[in-house]
Amino acid sequence: MMIQIIKKQCLMIWRNPAQLFLLIGLPIVFILILGTALNQFFEGETMRIQTKIAIIEHNSELEQADKFIQEMGKEAGLKKEQVASLKENLPIQRLKSLFYSKELSDTIDIKEVSEDEKDEILHDNTYSAIIEVPEDFTYTYLAHMIKHKKKIPQLRVIGNEQQQISVEFIQGIIENFQRQLTLSVFMSENKLDEQAMNIPASLFANNRTTMDQHEPISAKSYYTVGMAVMNALFVASTIGIIGFREKETFVFNRIILANVSRWIYFSGVLLSTVIFAFLQLLIIFSFSWLVFKVTWPNLFAFFLITIAFSMAVGGIAVLLTAISYRMHTERITNFFSSAIVAIMALIGGSFFPIGDSSEVVRKISELTPNGAGMVAYLSTLRGNDITDVSMSVIYLCLFGVIMIILAAFTFPKRGETM
Amino acid sequence: MLELVNISKRFKQKYAVKSMNMLIERGEIVGLLGPNGAGKSTAISIMSSLVEPTEGDVYFKGQSILKKPESLRKVAGIVPQEIALYTDLTAEENLQFFGRIYHLKGAKLKERMDDVLETIGLTDRRKEVVKKFSGGMKRRLNIGVALLHEPELLIMDEPTVGIDAQSRNYILETVRRLNEEKNVTILYTSHYMEEVEYLCDRIYIMDQGNLIAAGTKEEIKRILSGEKTIVIKADRITESFINEFKTHPLINGMNVEEKQVSIMVAKEVNMFADIIKLADKASLELNSVNVKTPTLEDVFLHLTGRALRD
Repeated sequence: MMIQIIKKQCLMIWRNPAQLFLLIGLPIVFILILGTALNQFFEGETMRIQTKIAIIEHNSELEQADKFIQEMGKEAGLKKEQVASLKENLPIQRLKSLFYSKELSDTIDIKEVSEDEKDEILHDNTYSAIIEVPEDFTYTYLAHMIKHKKKIPQLRVIGNEQQQISVEFIQGIIENFQRQLTLSVFMSENKLDEQAMNIPASLFANNRTTMDQHEPISAKSYYTVGMAVMNALFVASTIGIIGFREKETFVFNRIILANVSRWIYFSGVLLSTVIFAFLQLLIIFSFSWLVFKVTWPNLFAFFLITIAFSMAVGGIAVLLTAISYRMHTERITNFFSSAIVAIMALIGGSFFPIGDSSEVVRKISELTPNGAGMVAYLSTLRGNDITDVSMSVIYLCLFGVIMIILAAFTFPKRGETM
Repeated sequence: MLELVNISKRFKQKYAVKSMNMLIERGEIVGLLGPNGAGKSTAISIMSSLVEPTEGDVYFKGQSILKKPESLRKVAGIVPQEIALYTDLTAEENLQFFGRIYHLKGAKLKERMDDVLETIGLTDRRKEVVKKFSGGMKRRLNIGVALLHEPELLIMDEPTVGIDAQSRNYILETVRRLNEEKNVTILYTSHYMEEVEYLCDRIYIMDQGNLIAAGTKEEIKRILSGEKTIVIKADRITESFINEFKTHPLINGMNVEEKQVSIMVAKEVNMFADIIKLADKASLELNSVNVKTPTLEDVFLHLTGRALRD
């Protein structure tokens, strides 16, 4: 008998394309919009910089180095190996190799130009900045480092005012470079390991991990879960409305008069909601898997959460049906779908991560079935163990059971006015 | 077959049905008449085991349906006043669903569906979604669903409300055939007196929760055997003309329609002179004045003070 009721409910929803779109299409549209629009916010991504710069050297760095070795090498007592090392670590060479490095070459397009071209480049808006290496920069730097004579020379950055972000980016690199030169001199003076001054490659890498070293959640994953749990609540109101219409049109009475126990009908409503919510969640998550590559590290945990959450939705559906039967109005169901779902979605974290809120808000959030569902789903997506979601799963099952018990008490018994 | 014994149903302090007794014998077509709010629907709900009475009991084949409703439910078909169908489903899907909940399946279900569709004349529309049906077709399917499990007793609550004359006649013929050919016992309520007159062997009349008359058509009509009905037709009917009749000491009942007034007076009373005088006073031009034997409608009017469709 229950199968007939479920089959009939399926047909009713299937024959209602608008309702079907609301239950399946709308969450997918929401995921597409929110997931795409808020992706950068979730990924912690900065704006991608593409910049073109020119570097002008007034005289050859190698010639300056040779001049320094020739003039001061003997006085400073430089050995052959030290001279070779010096030539390999000339500052402008190091700066250039930084710009040509794998990490920065995608971002910075560097052109080495002569002094004569400076005016032309200054008028070329495609350039973000010119790095001007003053005359005898390397000679002065080496003299300071080895002979402690002269001041540390400074590189000059001429920025394109129309490309402020790129200019700041280049200035940051140059300031950092200058600091490294100063640090290098300090280490040399104090005979510290110069390896320490090497710029680590990780400085330019953009890897992201969470505090507890688990997989981070992308916006698409977050909103897949957020929209799925929110829209599953609409399954409850849809079934509630179908149930009330059955009462209003005497169809429910007709079923009862066919000697079908009202508890079989009640169970049919519950079971059909659980099945619909489960299928709806599967469809939404399958879509996310196909389109956004949102994958579940632990499928068993995923199915467990989905069943528990569907049970909670089923509980809500029978309670809504029972209240509307008791009160002879579908107002409560309409109020649920038009206001309570939105409030629950907001508190449950369907629109923004509730983890940023206070402890109290977070606790309240977890008390809503959608909030508890989200916590469990997100935890699984992060790669957490099944034991980490067990409390949420138990809570969802308990929530469902409490709703069912309340509904059973509310549902009019035989002899009461229908 | 079905017996209501001293049935009362009270909602808070108000009685919807009060001390009602009724007997329906096997193979009968019984009419239940009453104006709106008379308590007919509550009575039907009680006798179909849907609502429990505050007092009294209902017996089906000698067994209390309060204690054992399934004895009635298995063999009774209910045709509610509402279109109790899934309008998003096809006629066939509706019949299939209700057939299954009556435990029909396989070849038997198919056979019953075909038979019912034939009976209600919807065989060629079986695959159509019900919401596309006309009012008459919906009503016929509403009846069809109640016939699926071949009921012994059919309780029909105003099955012809809001449909065209052709569909209405079809339904009336179907009801009659079910009774004659399959010996289905029928309880029929309607707002149309002519339907009840055409179909029913016996009639119960309810008003304000009370059963005020019961008997065969002839027995009911005999209530007004000492009276006659005078039907006055004029070019128009004015308020003053009606008021004159209302206060007339010899008039026992009156029914006003658009250009017609029906009055009930004792058989021996001669009203012609008064009618002409009152029409003249109200400046009306009389078209006709007819005297006829009281109909069921007149009896109803006499008993309840209201026309059946009021």
